[in-house]
Amino acid sequence: MTVSRREWLRTALQGIGVGMVVGPGFPSIVTAQGNEARQGTGPLTVRVSRPFDAETPVREFASWLTPNERFFVRSHFGPPPADSVKPDAWRLTVKGLVKEELTLNLKDLQQLEAVTLTAVLQCSGNGRAHHRPKVPGVQWERGAVGNAQWTGVRLRDVLQRAGVKPQGAHVQFQGADRPALATVPLFTRSIPLAKALHSDTLLAYEMNGRPLPLLHGAPLRVITPGWMAESCTKWLTEITVRADETPGYYMQQAYRIPETAVRLSSGLPGSAMVPVEQMPVKSLIAAPAEGDTVRIGPVTVQGVAWAGEAPVVKVEVSCDDGKTWEQARLLGEGQPYAWRQWQFVWSARTPGPTAILCRAIDAQGEQQPATSPWNPGGFLWNGWDRLSVTVAA
Amino acid sequence: MERMGSPVCHSGGMTLKTAKKTSGFVLAALLCPLLGWVVITAAQDDDRGTIQPAQARQALTLIHARCAVCHTTDLIVQQRLPADRWTVTVEKMMHWGADLSKDEAAVVLQFVTARYHSGAPDHLPSIEEELAMIAPAAGPRPGFEGPVTGVASRGAGLYAHNCQACHGEGAAGGAGPKLARNTILKNEGAFWETVLHGRGPMPAWSAVLSHQEIADIHAWLATR
Repeated sequence: MTVSRREWLRTALQGIGVGMVVGPGFPSIVTAQGNEARQGTGPLTVRVSRPFDAETPVREFASWLTPNERFFVRSHFGPPPADSVKPDAWRLTVKGLVKEELTLNLKDLQQLEAVTLTAVLQCSGNGRAHHRPKVPGVQWERGAVGNAQWTGVRLRDVLQRAGVKPQGAHVQFQGADRPALATVPLFTRSIPLAKALHSDTLLAYEMNGRPLPLLHGAPLRVITPGWMAESCTKWLTEITVRADETPGYYMQQAYRIPETAVRLSSGLPGSAMVPVEQMPVKSLIAAPAEGDTVRIGPVTVQGVAWAGEAPVVKVEVSCDDGKTWEQARLLGEGQPYAWRQWQFVWSARTPGPTAILCRAIDAQGEQQPATSPWNPGGFLWNGWDRLSVTVAA
Repeated sequence: MERMGSPVCHSGGMTLKTAKKTSGFVLAALLCPLLGWVVITAAQDDDRGTIQPAQARQALTLIHARCAVCHTTDLIVQQRLPADRWTVTVEKMMHWGADLSKDEAAVVLQFVTARYHSGAPDHLPSIEEELAMIAPAAGPRPGFEGPVTGVASRGAGLYAHNCQACHGEGAAGGAGPKLARNTILKNEGAFWETVLHGRGPMPAWSAVLSHQEIADIHAWLATR
């Protein structure tokens, strides 16, 4: 049992820093994991132990790429058994409204042209804990997001091999993960054909130059750059071309937002609900950290900013709790879909407590709002980031 | 989920609301020293006053045994929801197969609505911590004396009901390890320790399964 549990944990937690935030009821996960997994990894903040949902501490976002071991993890049912997604056992089928059904293994796929791009992956519920009134769901705070380099093949190239019939308008994804009870709906999602045929929409088999870890969708996941992560199905096994949007809970009820903003506390929205797609413009402060004490003098404030399909053009920082704002310096060169690091040197002069805020603007003129419009799923939070610090004399 | 047959949330028959202050004090007196809570807000006192200890125990046990089939209970404890959203949530879980009778669902709903409401404090003890505090009085068969003999034929159903969600059909493994022909079956000390007190992500089952039931499951697993 000891051996098998360790093996299981090693597999289940592959790619995870296991300095978990655990209550007294779960002390042994760290010891069971042993030292090896903890070496060289930072802790994740565990929101749910099973299925394993954990977010990245924002201090990790001082790095442009988020390491696999520290990348947030989210799924509805946890990963499928590792054996079922080993490359020799795993197959991808392409079916539905196609001229020729395909069954592909990983080597078949890798015959197609390889594409590498860097893109932000973000859970739609990132920041849900900030919505008021509170909404049900995993209470993500700031770190259900990360920036990684994805390598794979274009979904378009796979669909072209199968040949999409003229009636095909949506592309459905099914992963190998299954709920504990057969009565729970499968996590089945679809994206419109236009997004599926976009040259940057990938079926990725590598993350940051390494084979996809099990927790991140091994051996193959969808990457829809600029769109929220629920479109980025992990452990992909089936692609089905359809005439309509996928029916079922996870497409028709979950991950939908009101087409127009709803009034706070108004209960159910009065407008049509549409699927969550693009990421709204957003920025985060990676340093200093919440509660830090800083010295009078120059203080480097740094963080990241991103938007959906448009680049970030400006980040502003306030170090007096929103009274005045100054422009931060954007670092490096902008890359589509990746986040942009930014930096601001604050001359801290007044001892005492204060708050540092940041907000970003994208090329379409969209501004990060002070607080996001409330919606019943608690999705797409992109309010100004804010942290409290104290200036020491 | 909108087409649920009949709502599970009617609390008309519940005695929770009629609980006397004294029972709240009894539970508070039990909980406070154990948790080391120095300050308890009036709101918390009121909350606890609406749940009798016996029903809190029943709700905690149900949450631990039935909700945790699909997700750990940390997901529940982090919610802060008004009653109507809790009602919808419990209905959704019932619709998805949560193994709760209507009466049991009502007990769970009453508990989560009282404990994890919109104004509740940010940090509350876990279900397992609460259960551990009340478990001594709640063990289903506290009079356990000496070894019991497991009956494999009974163990099959108990396994399917309590263990299969994680350990797989036929004990072939799933989210949890494969148990068929697992060496732990030969190490009864480790087996009982794990089942009774939990280990890693596996919850403790001492408040849910009797010793006889655990022995039955062990006997059935030994045949796999």
